[in-house]
Amino acid sequence: MSFPDPIAVFRTEAAELLEQIEAGLLDLNVNLGDKDQIDAVFRGLHTLKGSGAMFGFEALAAFTHHCETAFDRVRKGEVPATQALVTAVLEAKDHMRALVETPAGDHEATSEALLANLRAAVDGAKSPGVHQAAAPAQTLFKIRFSLPQNAMANGTNPLPLLDELRELGECTIVADRSAIPSLDLLSPTDLHISWNVELLTSQPRSAIEDVFIFVMDDMRLEITVVEAVTAAAKSPEKPATPIQAAEPVAAEPAPVTVSAPRVPAPMTAAPAPTDAKANKASENVRVPAEKLDELMDRVGELVIAQSRLSQLAGGSGDLQLRAVSEDVERLSGELRDTMMVLRMVPVTQLFGRFRRLVHDLSHETGKMIELVTEGESTEVDKSVIERLADPLVHLVRNSCDHGLETPDERRAAGKPQAGRIMLSARQQAGEVIITIKDDGRGINRERVRAKAEASGLIQPNANLTDQELYQLIFQPGFSTAQQVTNLSGRGVGMDVVKRTIDALRGTINVISHPGEGSEISLAIPLTLAIIDGLLVRVGAGRYVIPLSAVEECLELSIEEDMRSRGRSFISLRDSLVPFLRLRDLFRTGTKPDPFQKVVVISTGSERVGLVVDQIIGDHQTVIKAMSKLHHDVATFSGATILGDGDVALILDVGHLVAEGQQQEAHLRAAG
Amino acid sequence: MSLADFKEDCFQLPPNLTVRAIGTVRQEMLQLIDKHKSTTIAITGDCQVDISFVQLMEAARIYAGSAGKNIALAEPANGPLLDVLKRSGFLEGMSADDAKFWLHQGGIQ
Repeated sequence: MSFPDPIAVFRTEAAELLEQIEAGLLDLNVNLGDKDQIDAVFRGLHTLKGSGAMFGFEALAAFTHHCETAFDRVRKGEVPATQALVTAVLEAKDHMRALVETPAGDHEATSEALLANLRAAVDGAKSPGVHQAAAPAQTLFKIRFSLPQNAMANGTNPLPLLDELRELGECTIVADRSAIPSLDLLSPTDLHISWNVELLTSQPRSAIEDVFIFVMDDMRLEITVVEAVTAAAKSPEKPATPIQAAEPVAAEPAPVTVSAPRVPAPMTAAPAPTDAKANKASENVRVPAEKLDELMDRVGELVIAQSRLSQLAGGSGDLQLRAVSEDVERLSGELRDTMMVLRMVPVTQLFGRFRRLVHDLSHETGKMIELVTEGESTEVDKSVIERLADPLVHLVRNSCDHGLETPDERRAAGKPQAGRIMLSARQQAGEVIITIKDDGRGINRERVRAKAEASGLIQPNANLTDQELYQLIFQPGFSTAQQVTNLSGRGVGMDVVKRTIDALRGTINVISHPGEGSEISLAIPLTLAIIDGLLVRVGAGRYVIPLSAVEECLELSIEEDMRSRGRSFISLRDSLVPFLRLRDLFRTGTKPDPFQKVVVISTGSERVGLVVDQIIGDHQTVIKAMSKLHHDVATFSGATILGDGDVALILDVGHLVAEGQQQEAHLRAAG
Repeated sequence: MSLADFKEDCFQLPPNLTVRAIGTVRQEMLQLIDKHKSTTIAITGDCQVDISFVQLMEAARIYAGSAGKNIALAEPANGPLLDVLKRSGFLEGMSADDAKFWLHQGGIQ
């Protein structure tokens, strides 16, 4: 059994902390007076600094310390939170990520520049009133604390904690050595020293507790109020009250003693001391993503083996073998479902990163942009989420740069000054639909057409539907932007969107209304790993149709087949549905079976029938990617291995429906 | 580098005196105290020190004292060692013996 590399674990957890810090900063940017967010950001920075130092990321700890100090001042009301400060810390947060990823890199110049920004933001935020305010009353605290015995071995250095106590006010720190054993009995990495501290400070007790927030779970801490000192009576000298004479005052609660079982504390942003959710942390287990992928592969192989077993059992007269085979089939199906659930993650992880992007783009473009998200709890396979990030970045950038107007333009158009971008997600029949919608100027149809004609993508005066025309914006190098900005305009981004969505077996739908905005919907399969499929035969070949797209199956008699020749429509409950003869499409060169079947598939409201020779039955389909040689074969989205070892191709439903619709349009146009 | 490589009675400690190396330092210091009636410890000016070394030296003083032996620093604490003593609260309320040992105040112990 191998244990995870602690540095790798730290990096993973630091990345999560940085995300939490960023989310807190972005929330704070919306409401600069939000004390909860100020506290949350401070705690995140504090935890990152402490854990960074613990794992030897000294540069990270030193750099983060400055940001933490800035937020500490905000927290204490010495400096107000401003947008400039939030922006400075957001930039600093990006640098912290670099310090986590490449601690040995040359970061000094960047660190200094960012800290100068931070200082400027803090200085700019200072309000004269704050300094002129009367000094608050001070309190003399007696603090006794001891860290867990294994603190040093775990990387906790007591000295920075003592330094932080000194920063809170006038401080006398005395090391208690009475528990240090003789050298022959000493376990040298254990900590036997405890400390007695007298602290005269204007800070509340919680500020002292915050110093120990990262080690709070395992340590022993007693804080007693010795004396409340008014500002006028405050002595400039060291606190004179001897520790031995100290007695708790009635106005304060009893000394706070914190001790907890010795369990390693997870490095989530340190919760507020009263946060009961902290107890829930132990109910979760962190698993590296590659382990899940590995497990998924094993489940896939099991499903293939089970399929083979089913086939063998079906062909034998052994009833016991059949019973076992059915059990294995049921269990592997359940295992597959459980596995799929494990791989599903909410799109909130994906959407979260766009808050920062929109914040930055708003600054860059000078536009006021509001980001609204919807359906964040919609779950999608983790590999889909990972691959959706890039296309969404391009789409959101495009909306910000080209879609939304400037505040002046919006005012002139009678719109609110702030443009709105909505990111939404929902599930629909085995697919997740991600929509990016803006209330900007909309796509300029004429300009797209002119550009397409000029670049030879379409013939002049070609008759195209809006959808066909808008799909042209995804062509490589296609851009109607009159000027290239650092955000977009080179005609590269949308091409990336198209290629990525194609690779995900997804489709793109564009709706746009002049002056009202645009809506781009990405329909992506929920999973890229295993699907329920309908196994069919066409000629001598077997194919899989994703079951989530199948609406119904009908029989196509020879008479109906003959009658529909040249038209390829079937009447289905008073509506005409186009159908494709897969035997013709795949050029099998075989005669049709006497009782062909029509499998009606759909995407959204569009339907098409697929004529097959035989419906074999449902099939758990482990999706294998097509080779690079076949990546441009649009009719198939992948392949799978059947129980007998043969390969079956998986039909690309979106493509086939589009082809059927195209056929219908041509036939209607022909009268 | 082994502590035993140095001249008798005055032992130069290795530059790493942090928790990462403290187990080795303890082992060799035990051997030195066992071997010599009086042990003087020299520390390089650019050494790395943390609280584990201060704790180790305190434990060594107890051990040497109970065995009727002497242990001392070759020079009063300075540089990184003095910084750790200050930050860790060892200088506050220091007894005369402690001051003599760490800072050579009032003569070497």
